[in-house]
Amino acid sequence: MKVFPDDLFYNREHAWVRVEGELASIGITDYAQEKLGEILAVELPEVDSYIERDEPFGTIESAKGVFELISPVSGEVVNVNEDILDDIGIINSDPHDTGWMITLEMSDTEELDDLLDSREYNDFVVKEAESD
Amino acid sequence: MTWRLIPFSSANAFENMATDEAIFREYQRNDAPPTLRFYSWSPPSVSLGYFQAVSREVNIAACRQHSVDIVRRPTGGKAVHHENDLTYALIADERNSLFPPDILGTYKVISSCLALGLQELGIEAEMESDGRSRGDATLSAACFSSPSRYELLVNKKKICGSAQLRSRGAFLQHGSLLIDFEPAKTCALLLRQNGDHARQIDILRQSVTSICEQVGAPVSVDRVCRVMKKAFKKRLAIELVEGPLTKEEESLKRRLMDDKYMNDKWNMEGKVAGDGFQYSD
Repeated sequence: MKVFPDDLFYNREHAWVRVEGELASIGITDYAQEKLGEILAVELPEVDSYIERDEPFGTIESAKGVFELISPVSGEVVNVNEDILDDIGIINSDPHDTGWMITLEMSDTEELDDLLDSREYNDFVVKEAESD
Repeated sequence: MTWRLIPFSSANAFENMATDEAIFREYQRNDAPPTLRFYSWSPPSVSLGYFQAVSREVNIAACRQHSVDIVRRPTGGKAVHHENDLTYALIADERNSLFPPDILGTYKVISSCLALGLQELGIEAEMESDGRSRGDATLSAACFSSPSRYELLVNKKKICGSAQLRSRGAFLQHGSLLIDFEPAKTCALLLRQNGDHARQIDILRQSVTSICEQVGAPVSVDRVCRVMKKAFKKRLAIELVEGPLTKEEESLKRRLMDDKYMNDKWNMEGKVAGDGFQYSD
């Protein structure tokens, strides 16, 4: 049984958001990393680029295929986690914390209202896993 | 359930990849039926996986010398030499009831369609169940040198390679079914030349096979295509209705060709020029 932190918001594409003021750090959930298996490569946007909600902010490859990472919120990229580019295994080993991928300066914090909280996300993945 | 079947065509590498991505992107945006497409490559081409580095995987000079185009796929996986193969693209929803939601399950279902088609040609294929366990490090760039889980083997030799792109609930699976195989040419195009070339060819010969080799006679692309259409239809219990690209797909395909797949920035570096490709007009 996975534990999804209470202080994060989630979208249905298995990305999480940690909010600090106007800043939103984004990564993929423990459920997603387990589903993808060992991650082999990741491509992230450049600082200063603008990401739209529900649009890809990056791409990931595992032995199972290539997967686009879908952003839960819109905003300008202010930081990219260089550590995961050096040691990609962090995404698998610590997806909710040091495995964060990018930080956005959100352009519309009201977009957070459309995201799931940890309980709702847990219900969503339980349902998805049941159909596996 | 009714699927769309895009009529068989032979096109260049850039048009082939632009067509598949256009179908995939329009499928994500609209309530379209799942789509199956079979095609071949003219001129012969090498396609690279999304994340592969051209300089490490492809002998660019040899490709130029043989007039072989190089294109980067939107899907993952390794490099494939397309000359005597039948390629398919399958675009569907990952929540489609025909496919299990787990990713490998999709490969398994599609492999079972291909296996049924091969059976029709008199070839008994088995699914690889151990993952990428075989192959040789010196051949790691070549897709066909190491079978992935649920890929098809005939007498322990790989006959088909496949790869996927997934995004927002939809998937595009590419696969290349070898009709004939020239290990020396594939080695010359795909592998680094600083190893023992004769040994590399020998390993490929031992680990890869083709429909013609198994049948022991020439088999046409048309025949393989006909057999595979029938096999997908039967195995998935679907209706396949031939239809062209929609106006929107055609227009997106043209933009993808011009701005992405015919562009060296994408094919050589994996980057799209400017601020990235805008999928919406």
